[in-house]
Amino acid sequence: MVSTPRNLREILGAVTKYELGGPLLALALLVAASSALSPRFLEPYNQRILLLQTAPLALIALGESMIILMGSIDLSPGSTMALAGVVSAAAFRVYGFQLHASLAIGALVGLAVGAVNGLLVTKARIPSFVATLASLVAGRGLVLVLTEGQPIVGLSQYRVLTIELVGVPVMVWLFILFGAINYVLLKRTSVGLLTYAIGGNEEAVRYSGVRVDIVKLVNFSLAGGYYAIAGLMMNARLEVAYPWTGWGYELDAIASCVLGGIMLSGGVGNPLGPVVGAYMLTLLTNVLILLGVNPYLQWVVKGVVLVTAAVALTRGVRYVK
Amino acid sequence: MFKLSSEIVLSTKGIVKEFPGVVALKGVDFDLRQSEIHSVVGQNGAGKSTLVKILSGVYTPTRGEIFVRGVRVRIRNVRDAKKLGITLVHQEATLVPNLSVAENIALALYGVRGTVFARAKEKELLELARNYLELVKLRIDPRSKVRDLGVGERQLVQIARAIAENADIICLDEPTSPLTSMEAKVLFEVMEELRKKGKSMVFITHRVEEVFQIANRVTVLRDGVKVFTEDVSKTSPYEVIKHMLGKELEEFYPPRVEAKSLSRVSPRLRVVSLTTASNGKGVKLEGVSFDVYPGEILGVVGLLGSGKTELGKALVGAQRVVSGEIYVNGVKATIKSPVDALKLGIFYIPEDRRREGLVTQLTISDNIVLPKVFKTSSMSLIRQAQVERSIAGRWIKSLRIVPSDPSFKVANLSGGNQQKVVIAKSLETGAKILILDEPTFGIDIGTKVEIRKLIRSLASEGYSIVLLTSDVDEALALSDRILVIASGRVTNVMENRNLSREILISMLGGQVG
Ligand SMILES: Nc1ncnc2c1ncn2[C@@H]1O[C@H](COP(=O)(O)OP(=O)(O)OP(=O)(O)O)[C@@H](O)[C@H]1O
Ligand SMILES: [Mg+2]
Repeated sequence: MVSTPRNLREILGAVTKYELGGPLLALALLVAASSALSPRFLEPYNQRILLLQTAPLALIALGESMIILMGSIDLSPGSTMALAGVVSAAAFRVYGFQLHASLAIGALVGLAVGAVNGLLVTKARIPSFVATLASLVAGRGLVLVLTEGQPIVGLSQYRVLTIELVGVPVMVWLFILFGAINYVLLKRTSVGLLTYAIGGNEEAVRYSGVRVDIVKLVNFSLAGGYYAIAGLMMNARLEVAYPWTGWGYELDAIASCVLGGIMLSGGVGNPLGPVVGAYMLTLLTNVLILLGVNPYLQWVVKGVVLVTAAVALTRGVRYVK
Repeated sequence: MFKLSSEIVLSTKGIVKEFPGVVALKGVDFDLRQSEIHSVVGQNGAGKSTLVKILSGVYTPTRGEIFVRGVRVRIRNVRDAKKLGITLVHQEATLVPNLSVAENIALALYGVRGTVFARAKEKELLELARNYLELVKLRIDPRSKVRDLGVGERQLVQIARAIAENADIICLDEPTSPLTSMEAKVLFEVMEELRKKGKSMVFITHRVEEVFQIANRVTVLRDGVKVFTEDVSKTSPYEVIKHMLGKELEEFYPPRVEAKSLSRVSPRLRVVSLTTASNGKGVKLEGVSFDVYPGEILGVVGLLGSGKTELGKALVGAQRVVSGEIYVNGVKATIKSPVDALKLGIFYIPEDRRREGLVTQLTISDNIVLPKVFKTSSMSLIRQAQVERSIAGRWIKSLRIVPSDPSFKVANLSGGNQQKVVIAKSLETGAKILILDEPTFGIDIGTKVEIRKLIRSLASEGYSIVLLTSDVDEALALSDRILVIASGRVTNVMENRNLSREILISMLGGQVG
C-alpha cells in the first residue's frame, strides 16, 4: 500500500513536533527492545535499581540543562557532586554535625561552587567552557586534599534517602520533585523565559535592558545545588563518600541532555528532556550489563547511541554550531 | 499597437506553499521575461519572500509547477536552483561575517563550481573580487572583513556575489530597504546594466516609487494571492498601492501637527560633546551634542556609515564612550549598559533586528514581554500567561502583526512583522526616551503610516524620541528638529520649518566623502 509509509511518516512527524516527542519515542523503543532482549529487564527489582541509578544522573542532567539552554556549558558537575558529598560526609562523621545539617552543608557547597562558576563567567568574563573546566580540575583537587584520597565510611544514616515512601525510594521521589521544579522554573517563571532567551540570542536580550548576568549567576548557582544533591544521593546509595565519585559524570550529564533533546546551541529543548535522557542512558548501561556485554564495549555503544541521537536531533536543523 | 514578444525565462503555475498554520501562497501564477526587471510588491506577510525562496530552492512548494525556459523543472534545493542559473539575494544578509569580502565572493564560486579545495591564489582572488565590486560600484578594500561593513555595503556585496555566480535570473528580496535613495540609485544603475546584458530580475520592494523608476512589470501579491500584474508603463503608483492594500490609501504621511505643548524649558536628554572609541569598524562619534525635550521628535539624518547607529548605541552604553556627558532630566547620568539606560528610561531599538532585536526561537508574546518580564510576573518570578497574552494581543492588534497568534514563533514571521515585534517590545518597556534606529525599514506602506502615526502620538503623549533615519522624507514628516550627521560629526541642526527636501538631501550629499 502506498499510503502506509506516508501515514507512518505523518505519525512520526506529529510525534516529533512536540519537543519531548522524539526523546519519548526513543525511550519507548528502547524499553520495548530491552524487555524483548532480557526478560529480567522489566522485573520490579531491576526497575528499582534502574531508578536508583538514574536519580543522581537525572539531577546533574537537570542542572546541566539549565546551563546548556542558556547557550553555555558546565563541565563541573562531577567534581561538584564529589565535593558536596565529601564535605557533607566530613561534617557528619568528622565534625559531628546532625544529619540534616550535614545534608544542608552539602547542598550549600554545591550552590557555592555554582556561584563561583557564575561569577567567573559574568564578572571575570571567562567563557563557560574554560571557567567550569577550571572548577572541574580544582574541585576534584580539593576533594582529594580534603580526603587525602581516602573514602569516608559509615554513612548508614544517609539511608533516609533510599528508604521507601509509598513503595518508591525517597531518592526517586526527589528526582521527580526536582524534575517538576525544573519544569516550572523554566516554563513558568521569568528566569526561565530569560534562560531560553539568552540561549537563543544573548545580544538581543542585552539590548532589551535585561540583567543577563544575574540570570546567569542564578542558573549556575542552582545548577551547582542540583549537582550537590546528586552527590548526597551517591553517599546514600553507597553509604560511603568516595573521592572519585562522579568522575566523568559531566559527560554523562551532557549526553543525557542531548538524548533528551536539549540543543547544545542553546535556547531549544524541553525541561523534562534531561530526565528522559538520563533514564535512557542508565537503561542502556543496565541492559548491556544484563546482557553481559564487555564493559569497555559499553562505552562504544553509548557513543554510537549519542551520535544517533544527535543526528536525529539535528535533522531539519540547517546549521549546527 | 505592437507588443514586444519576449521569451519567458521562468514561470510558475499554481504555486501553493503551506506552513503549519499558515498558507503563505495560495496558487500563484507568475512569469518572468528575458531581460526584464519584474517587481513584486505587497504588504508584510503577503508571501513575496516565500515566492522567491521557492524559485531559488530555499523552500519546496507544497503544490504547483515551475518552468525554466518552457521546461518543467524540480527545484529541490539551492544547488538545483543555481544550476538552473537562479540565485537569491536574501532579505537578511547571508554573508560570513568573519571572512573578507573577497573570500565571501570566492565562497559563492566554489559553491557553483564545486571546487572547494581548489583555493585560488590570494592575488587572483582579490583581483576577481575587485572586478565584481566594481560592478556594484562599491569602493571598499576586498580584504576588509564583512563584519566591519554596514548593512548597505553588505547588501551590495551580496549582489556582487550573485553576479559572480553567473546567475541569469537574480531574485532580489528588498535590496533597497537598507539603502538610502542615493545608494538605491547606484543599485538601479547596476541592475539596468545587468538587464542590458540579458539578465532577468525579480525585484521585491516596499517603495512603490522604485517600481516606477526601474521595473518593467509589476506584480502585486496580497495574502498569498496574485491580485495584479501589469506593465509598469500601463499603470500608476496609485493603482499599485490600491491593489496592495485592497483599499485606497488616504494619507501617506500623517500631516505633521506642530506640537502645541512643546515647550522647550528643560531638556529631558542632554548630550554634551559625546566622543566614542574608534573600534576599527564604522565611524567614531566626535563631539556630538544635542538636547531633546519632552514631547519632541529629534530627527537624526545621515547616510549609511555616518554614525547614526553608533550614536544610538552610545546612548544606551552599548558602545564605549571616551568622553562627553549625558544628562537625563538635568542629572548627569552614567550609562554603562542597556540596563543602566533602561533604568533612566532610555531604550534603543536596533536596526539589525535579527541580530540585536529578537530571540527568533521564542514566540511573539515572549519577545514583547522580555524586557519587563520581572514586572509582569507575580513576585517578579511566576509568569502570568493571561497578562502576557493580553499585552501581546494589544500590540498585535494596534501594529497589525500577522499572524495574530501571540504564541507564533518569531522565526516564522515575515521580515516586516518581525520589525513590528521589535517596536512593540520597546514601547512596552515604558521608556520615555526612545531611540529608534530606522524604525520603518522593510515595513509596508500601510503599516509605515501606522508606525509613523504611532511615533507622532507617542511624542504628543510626552515621549522624547530620537529618530535615526536615512529616509529624508521620514525625517521631514516626523521631526520637530533635524540634526544632520556625517562622519560622526553633527554638521547641521535646524528647526523643521519650511525645510525643503532638496536642501536636506544636498546637506547629506554635501558631506559625502
Ligand atoms: N518558515 C515559516 N514557517 C511558518 N510560517 C512562515 C514561514 N515563513 C514564512 N511564513 C509565513 O508566511 C507568510 C508569508 O511570509 P513572507 O516572508 O513570504 O512575507 P513577505 O511578503 O516577504 O513579507 P515582508 O514584506 O514582511 O518581508 C507570513 O504569514 C509568514 O508568517
Ligand atoms: Mg519578505
